[in-house]
Order: sequence, then structure tokens, then C-alpha cells
Amino acid sequence: MIKLPSAFRTLLGWLPALAVLVFAGMALAQSFQTQIYDPTTRKWVDYTPRAAAKFYNRHGQSPEEFRRQVVPFRTAEKPGTIIIDGDRHFLYLVQPNFQAIRYGIGVGRDGFGWAGIVKIGRMQEWPTWTPPPEMIARDPESAKWANGMPGGPDNPLGARAMYLYVGNKDSIYRIHGTNQPWTIGLNISSGCIRLNNEDVSDLYSRVEVGAKVIVLMQGAALYKGV
Amino acid sequence: MAVWRSILMSSFLAAAAANPVRADAVVIGVPAWPSAQVTAHIIHDVLNERLGVETELRERGTLTILSDIGRGDIQVHPEVWFPNLSAMATRLSEEKQVLSLSPISVAATQNICATRATVEQTGIKAVADLVKPEMAAQFDSDGDGRGEIWIGAPSWSSTEIEKIRAHSYGYDQTMTLLEMPEDVAMAAVDAAVSFGKPVVFYCYGPHHVFELHDIVKLEEPAYDPARWTIVTRAQDNDWLAKSHADTAWDASSFKIAFATSLETGMPEVASFLSKMELTPEDVTAMSYAVVVEGKPAEDVAKDWIAANADRIGEWTK
Repeated sequence: MIKLPSAFRTLLGWLPALAVLVFAGMALAQSFQTQIYDPTTRKWVDYTPRAAAKFYNRHGQSPEEFRRQVVPFRTAEKPGTIIIDGDRHFLYLVQPNFQAIRYGIGVGRDGFGWAGIVKIGRMQEWPTWTPPPEMIARDPESAKWANGMPGGPDNPLGARAMYLYVGNKDSIYRIHGTNQPWTIGLNISSGCIRLNNEDVSDLYSRVEVGAKVIVLMQGAALYKGV
Repeated sequence: MAVWRSILMSSFLAAAAANPVRADAVVIGVPAWPSAQVTAHIIHDVLNERLGVETELRERGTLTILSDIGRGDIQVHPEVWFPNLSAMATRLSEEKQVLSLSPISVAATQNICATRATVEQTGIKAVADLVKPEMAAQFDSDGDGRGEIWIGAPSWSSTEIEKIRAHSYGYDQTMTLLEMPEDVAMAAVDAAVSFGKPVVFYCYGPHHVFELHDIVKLEEPAYDPARWTIVTRAQDNDWLAKSHADTAWDASSFKIAFATSLETGMPEVASFLSKMELTPEDVTAMSYAVVVEGKPAEDVAKDWIAANADRIGEWTK
């Protein structure tokens, strides 16, 4: 939603300060495809945007595995730490006693593009969304929001945004809500990490500025080879 | 006790007068990993409370601590890893004769590991199994048909060797070799365990991951120097082709190192440092208490001292 080529170039410009992040070529294609278990046919089936929209229209929510739930989670990370598994479309919030709250997420079409350790640098309720120039050039409809679309139910950032920082710098990546809740579980956005508005509000209420965020590496797209 | 301490201090001061060792404090280096931090605090407390020696803890990188011992600025390194630092340690101990190494080592390990659930799900037993495409595919987390394996952090010397091992075994053709910080890799293991997915990764021990999860070391042929030729990237651009390593790692270890001048200046301290014998279980428990349970290193050290008074008594005789 927010991560765009120009913004990414800006991020690359900060690479000396981004020592904790592990980048690789964004151009490398990702082939991962979400699958979900269909209890009716007892088979794993592709979870395509079409299937996701159909499921959401029928059930009013995402499939079971992408719904917010407490799961066992043995980790050395402290409670309050966020671990993002983009491959499997989960965000874990570490809780005491080796448990975590697991939320379903949507990620970018090309995966997340990097892995590493960042932190929540800023938090905002009903954030303003500003379409980037590339989008305005491509989609004249978005031009009316060139100076920022106020927060609200139609705002693509949804109900809450948590801004991911590297040190004291905004990384341009965010964990945010969405006005398209059916996209949870998919690789469909332009980037960032989206949760449905209820989940992002729940997460927002449980974390604080400064929380450690670990973004797991997404397979082949992040490795340049020997 | 007070009299005993006073006598000890007198003898230290008398010895120090004829020796370059500083009489005011023994400086203990504190490297940036949990077991070494706890060990540094144990040494600090024992020297203070049992031997009546003033101490100072100084946080430094492991290489800096060793070189500061060479310069006389630091007297104790709580955990020197071998073979990682063997070249520098040999130079300081044998050529310059300013560094003494404890005769007691703690055994360390470097392997390719999986969780027990992974072994049950996939049937993997040996590192060489990763060469089979159908086995490797079971570790595919991104849908490209190849498995993924963490081989270490980008800055570690072991990571280069793990690339050589993957190339020599041949699983660099079936698996994607991932480099990332340890925190990220361990969180990936945690997430895989939570979701019940297979995971395979480079592991070293003693390490708290062996306490946190049920971990299995994959089988390999025993270390064979004839099958272990390492050419580093710094030595040769063609390092990967010129290297070969398709056996297990040679035995690794770590030990306490201290300024040789302590042997004459503070022989009781040198004696204690040479006798202090930690087990791998001790070290894992220290790492676990600091990293997983979030306890400060000084508190873990105090708990350990309270629980091991007899052992410390033997070492300070």
C-alpha cells in the first residue's frame, strides 16, 4: 500500500544506517502462493484473491487460520515483541508463558523484500494516507488526495498504523489496517503489512512505541547466492 | 574472614609492588554474549567475596579484550573461543608470553540441526539427506520448490565455512542458503515450531535453543582433516572452488584466559581461574536464564554461586 519504487529507493539510500536489515533484489520473483485447508474437500486449495473475496463475502471473515488466536510459542523473545512471518501470512505478538497472539496478515505482491530487526517508532490512530506521485500519475482518481486522505473507513491504511523505524529513522514500512479485509492471507498489496481493522486495533492496544519487530526472511527472494 | 581477607590483601599488595599487575583492581573483560557475561560476573564476585580482590568489569568486544590483555589493560577474558581465536591466542601466549590459557576447556559444538518434530515429519537423519531434491522440498517455505536453511549471520566466520560445507555436500543445489542475524533465525525456528512446519538450520552450542526446543543434530561423517580444506574469501577469490569440507566440524571449545602476570602477582587468582571448570550444562543454563528468562547477568551469577558453593570452594583452595 505504501511501499513504492521511489520510497524504496529512498530506503536504499539509507542502507549504511540499515545494518540490521538484510536486503536482496526486489526484482527476484516470488512464487509463493497461499493455500488454505478446505475442510469440505479435505484438501489444501489455492487461496487466490478471487477465492478470498468469495470466502469473505460468504462468511464475513477470513478463514480460520488467519483469524486472531492465542497459540503456543516458545521463544527467547520478550513479551511485547512482534514477529512477522510473511511467507505464512502471520504476525505473532509474543505473550508471557510461551504463548503468542497470532494475527493473519496480508503482505506485498513481491513479499516483504527484506528481513531484519526494526522497532515501532510511531503509532497513529486513523492515519492519513497520501498517495505517492506514481499512483497519482497512474490513477487520476487518487489525485484528489494528493495532500492526504483523512483517516476513516475508506482510507486504505485502515484504523491504525504502526510505523517501523530503523534506529530513529522511518523505514517507510508500516503495520496498518485496511479497507479491504478480504485481502488478509494474500500477497496483494504494494508492500507493508496489513491486518483487518479489528485486529490492527487489538494489536495497537497491546504494543508500545519501542517494541522490537522481527521480520523473518522470505526464502529465495532474499538470497543472492554464493 | 576479615583477618583472612586482610592477610590475603597484604600478600597481594606486597607481590604487586614487585610486579606490573595493578594492585587496585583486576579488570575482567565482559564480551557481548550471555554466558560470557554471567561467567565474568561469577569471576568478579568470587574474586571480591572469596579472595578479597578488587575487580572492575569492562564491556568490550572479544578481540579487544584479548588485545587489551596483551597491553596490560585487562587481566581476564571469561570465554575465549577456539578455533575461532586460536591464532591470536597462540601469538599472545606462546610468542609474547603475556596470556595464560586455562587448561580446562568447555566443549562446544557446531552442527546442522532440526527440531524433533521435523525429523518425525520428514524422515531426515543426516546432513547429506538435504542433497535429495524431494527431501529439500520439504523445507520449502516460499513455494519455489527449494528448501531454505539458515547458515549463520553474515559476519560470522562460520557462515563462510557453512557455504563451503553446503557446496561440498551438494545441498547448495537443492536448498537456498539464508544468512541473517541470529535473532531473526531463532524467531524463524520459533515460528516454524509454533505452526508445526519443518525447519533445518545451523546451530552451535552450548546455546539456549537446545533448552527452548527439542533439537536434533543431523548426522555427519566424523571430522576428517583430509576432507577439510578451507580457503577463505579473503585469501582467494576462487575460495569456494578451492575449498572442501564434507565432514562434521572439528571439535570446538572455549576457555578462560588471563594475564600471565597474575601467576606471580596474584597466584591465588591465577589458580582459581585455572581451576574454574564450567560444564556445557552450566553454560546453557546461564544463556537460558539471561536470554529466555530475562534475568540480569549479575543475578544469574549470584544464583549460580549460591548453588555451587562447594565447587567454588574446591577452585579457591
